[in-house]
Parts: sequence; C-alpha cells; structure tokens
Amino acid sequence: MDKDYTASIDSATIDLIEKAKKEEIETIFSRAEEIKPCPIGVEESCCKICAMGPCRLPRSKRESRKERTGVCGATIDTIVARNFARKVAAGVAAHSDHAREVAETFLKTARGETQGFSIKDELKLIAVALDFGINVDGKDTKEIAIELGERVLEEFGKQKGELTYIKKAPVSRQEIWKRLGVIPRGIDREVVEIMHRTHMGVDQDYKHILLQTTRCALADGWGGSMISTELQDIMFNTPVPVMGSINLGVLKEDEVNIVVHGHEPLLPELLVLATKDPELKSLAEKVGAKGINLAGMCCSANEVLMRHGIPCAGNFLQQELAIITGAVELMTVDIQCEMQGLKNVAECFHTKLITTSDRAKIEGAIHIEFHPDKGLDTAKKILRLAIENYPNRRHNVYIPSQIQETVVGFSHETINYLLGGLFRASYRPLNDNIINGRIRGIAGVVGCNNVRTTHDLGHITLTKELIKHDVLVLTTGCAAMACGKAGLLVPEAAKKYAGPGLSEVCEAVGIPPVLHMGACVDNSRILIAATAMVKEGGLGNDISDLPAAGAAPEWMSEKALAIGHYFVTSGIFTVFGTTWPTLGSDKVTEHLFHEFEEMYKGMWAYEPDPIKAAHRMIAHIDKKRKALGIDKTKERVLFDMDMRRSLG
Amino acid sequence: MEKDEKKEVFDVKTKDDEPYKRYDWREKLKTRDEKIKYLKSALRYWYSNECYGSEKSN
Repeated sequence: MDKDYTASIDSATIDLIEKAKKEEIETIFSRAEEIKPCPIGVEESCCKICAMGPCRLPRSKRESRKERTGVCGATIDTIVARNFARKVAAGVAAHSDHAREVAETFLKTARGETQGFSIKDELKLIAVALDFGINVDGKDTKEIAIELGERVLEEFGKQKGELTYIKKAPVSRQEIWKRLGVIPRGIDREVVEIMHRTHMGVDQDYKHILLQTTRCALADGWGGSMISTELQDIMFNTPVPVMGSINLGVLKEDEVNIVVHGHEPLLPELLVLATKDPELKSLAEKVGAKGINLAGMCCSANEVLMRHGIPCAGNFLQQELAIITGAVELMTVDIQCEMQGLKNVAECFHTKLITTSDRAKIEGAIHIEFHPDKGLDTAKKILRLAIENYPNRRHNVYIPSQIQETVVGFSHETINYLLGGLFRASYRPLNDNIINGRIRGIAGVVGCNNVRTTHDLGHITLTKELIKHDVLVLTTGCAAMACGKAGLLVPEAAKKYAGPGLSEVCEAVGIPPVLHMGACVDNSRILIAATAMVKEGGLGNDISDLPAAGAAPEWMSEKALAIGHYFVTSGIFTVFGTTWPTLGSDKVTEHLFHEFEEMYKGMWAYEPDPIKAAHRMIAHIDKKRKALGIDKTKERVLFDMDMRRSLG
Repeated sequence: MEKDEKKEVFDVKTKDDEPYKRYDWREKLKTRDEKIKYLKSALRYWYSNECYGSEKSN
C-alpha cells in the first residue's frame, strides 16, 4: 500500500506513526488530529494578563465595533504587541538560561571543580578572552579561563552599559541600534523589563513595547546564545567538518540504545566519554548486547553530532517515535522542546525516561540530576541503568532502515579556513563569488518542526528552491536535521540540487550547498559569519546590505521568535511559515513587516507556502544585489594601452 | 545518495578510538604565538589592530 505522506515527508517517520496507530499509542500526531488551534489565540487576540479578563477580541466578532479593546481600554495593538513581546522574552530567557548554566560550568571547570570537563580549545579561549578585553599575555590557560568565566557571568546581571558582544557587530549596525536606543544592557535586565512593561497598566504603546522587544532579542543573539556557543566551543572544541549519520535507522537492534534529547551539551559530552569506559562496555556484553549506541535527538543531537560524529536519531517531531521503535533502553532529557507525552510513550515500552536538569522535571519520569562536580559519575550511572535495562525489551523491535550520511560542523571559523587555508583564511572568496554572481546570496534556514504542517516539508522545499537558484544555505536546529535526512548535507548534493554557479563553488571548495552550523543557540554563528562578510568588504557596510535572508518555515517555539527578532533587527529579512502571532493587529503586523525596514533595514514576513517564501527571499536578495550594483554580469574587457591611459 | 556518486572531499582521517571521520584543521596550530598570529590574520575582522575592508575608513 502506498504511504500517506500528509504527516511527514520522511518515510521512517511515517512507518513509526503507522506502528503507533496499530499499537494504539498516542503521539503528537494523533493528538494534533483531536486538538485544533484556538482561533482567537492563533491571532493573539486575547489578553489574560489580569483577572478582569481574559478579554477575547476576535477580529470576526468585533468588526462592527470601532476599536477592539479590553475592559481596561487596552487596544488590540497593545494586546498583540504585549503577547508578542512576552513570547520573545521567553525565548530569550530559554537560550540565556542555557548560557548561564554553561557559563557556571565553564567557570567551575576553569577552577578545577568539575568532573570530566576540561578546556579543550585554547584558540577559541584566547579569541573570546580578547573579545572580553582580557589581557592574555603571560597568563596560563587556567588563569585566562577563570578571568573569562567571571567576566562572562557579569553579562547576565549587568545594569548599565552595553553587552560585550555588541561591539562584534558591524560598526554601522551598532550605530543603528544606538540611534534607536535598543542596545541591551544586561541579559536578565532586558527579560525582566519586558515582563514589567507588559504587566497590566504599564507600557501601552505598541511601538514602544516592540523597541524593548528588540533590545531583549538582541540580548539573546548578541548575548545569551553567543555566550553559549563560544563557551561550549572552548570546553568541547569548535566544530570542524565531521562525518555523521542521521534518521531513526541509526538505532541498533543488537546494541544498548541511549538517546540524548534536549539542548545543553554538558551531560551528553560526558555520556560520549562514558561510552568508552571498559567496565561499561563489558557490562553491555554481559547482558547480551553487542555494544553501547549513543544517539542524539533535537539540538543535543546537533551538539554531539558536530563535535563527535555521534549519530542523530531525528528532530523534534521524531522524539516519541524513537521510543516507539521498541529499541530505546533509555532517553535523557534536559531542557527545552521535550514533550511531556514522552512519559506515556515510554510507559508503553521498557524505555526509561530520565530528566537531568534541576529546572525541568516530568511527572512520573526518573530524575537523576546532573551536577558538573560529579558529572562523569552521573553519566556512568545513567549508562549503567540503560545497559541493565537491555534485557527488559518486551516488544517486537522495529527500526526503520532509513539512514543518511551527513557532513556537519561548519562553524564560522571553519568556513573561513576552508575558503583560504591556514595562511590565507578569509571570507574574500565567498564575497568574490557573490559579487561575480556564481553565488546569488546567502540564506539562513533555521527553526523547529511544527505538527500543524507536514514534518520537514517546509524546510526541504524551501531549501531546495534556494540552492536551485544559487543561494548558499546556512542551517541550524531541527531545520539542519531535516536537511541532513534529505541528503542535502553532503558535498554531492551540490551537483544534484544546486544551481550551476553554487554547484561550481561547492565543488571547488569541497562543501555541501547547505552548511550545518549547529544547534539553535548556534544561530549566533550565522550572525558572526554575516558580520565577517560585511567586514571583509565589497558587499556594503552593514548586514542589511548583504544579499541575504532568513527563514523558519516550520517554527513553533518562543525561542524561534526570539531568534527571528534578533535576525530581523540585525538587518536580515526573515520569513516565517506555518502561522504568525500578530495577525490580530494590523498596526503591529504592519510595523513588523514594513516600518521595521525603515528602522532596522530588516523586516519580518509571513508566508506559509515554502516555494513562495523562497521566492520572496530570492527577490530580497536580488534587491540587495541591485543596490550593491552587482545585479548584472559584467563583460570582461581586456584593456588596450589607450583604454588604460584614459583611466588617468 | 548513489554509491558511485561518493567522493572524498576533505582530507579526512579516522582516529583509532573514534569511529568517525573528522578533519580538525585547528590541530595544526600548536603554540600560543601561532594561535594569536592566526587570530590576527584569519580573523582580522575582530583581532587585528588595523581597520579592515568595509570599515577601513572608520
């Protein structure tokens, strides 16, 4: 029988949805059929920030009224802007609290107070120390790391001044932010201020609310997320190209399967280390397994895939399905994007669901809290639990055969190196190939999965359309995993899917047409790559001058909105698919979609059709090419002596 | 991807204890001086004292 690809374009996913149906196991896919999105909430036309409401102000029922307001008189514009601001603040808080955990672990590691961690990347340590104005002369690694750890932690609670990483942005971008008064002071302060301003009866001017939303989002992109990325690189190594594999087929029938799911790479790094423990390997043999197979899920997967080549079982919508294979002995979850539904699915099998963060428990799951001072012991304890659970498999195991090779680990440093080698590392060749038109432009395709749209369809349709039109794609998060499963993260994909210009460049450099840059916190790598392109010269003076655009075709989380907002206000035209959370207010939507271009030279757009979204991005790229004067192929003219003399 | 389409692009190597292919170009930089020199040239956009490229006139 032909498969029904309505739920997903990935046949492994389809197979396991069918298995779940047959075995009457509830998943996100079955729940989505029963629960439809609230029509008022979907356009954010509802205010529930005080106990006089909730005030529901749907467009359809209130058209006859002059103005839709809550009982307090708050306009629909204020209400929608407040809801948007709170979502962005939650996204910023998520990335930044992740950063805080990493920074605290980093400082403890520098002081020798952790187990299993070390400072692995001295090059990155020096670079980040210099970013923070730390003099590295004559200091050993430990001294620099302690000083850096202390300085970085100050970024969260700063009350005045500017976040340190702001000065990494192009000078002209900093001037725009300064003029608009949106440079973040301290990460926590900007989140708190959003929560205050959106409390009942405080900030009631939608444009003013959205200014603070910008300041808060920038505290993520050029603050929390960037700190996470940089410190993780120092502790676990800056990503370099590595071969890996992806999709549910990475699970192994005759091995102990452990899936690491979530976002912080701290425990996953130690689990990687612990799998090499001879005692645990021998225990696995004793229980009849051929080995220990660690696999990733969601952004934890991206982290260990790009640093260790640990196979990736899948992205957000595949988390329950991994357990439904019947082959997963244990799944660890730390923070963000972990569905509570995992618990019910795990109960149908022998799988142990382990929560590991002090900030995130799931009712009914086993809680083994991770603390860096005894991190390796905890990792070994978890592995032992998984191994001992191997003989308890009680269902028929079904592991789909789908598995795809990938090349991942394109940090901005690695892209820089690949373009010029050790002695001439530079973004010059990339800029030159954009100027000469072989590469039309650059696109960031990032973000989540969303069960309200076909799994992976938006990512893959959009990305293929972009590379077909010679747009080089940089990808992170669940979008990156979708691209991996579709075979777009291998150099051979250039010949198969990319336009002639992009294909030629990819073949010359030896890179895929879609570059995997990491997890969702690693969108900061895209900001830095864009900044390097600007600073290299020839493509304008600001990120907004670049022939570049961004997209999150299957977004669902508040973090995605935070990312989108810092992309837009860093000067990047950004298109979101699936749904858009300000449709309840024409003024707020107009402000974000059009007036923002005047203010930030970057703006939001909403387009659920991925082909149309791709062409809006390409049109924007072409507009920027025209503004730079690189929209027409120039004839190469061989100058004779008279022509040379005429140049003066 | 078809098998016959495969080609080795990177100078990949397999470490004995790690069952994957990884190309760590950063291992070529050994000393602190080499690393600082690399930052000042390769990542001159931020670590060189001279203004560069689009910000030359600033």
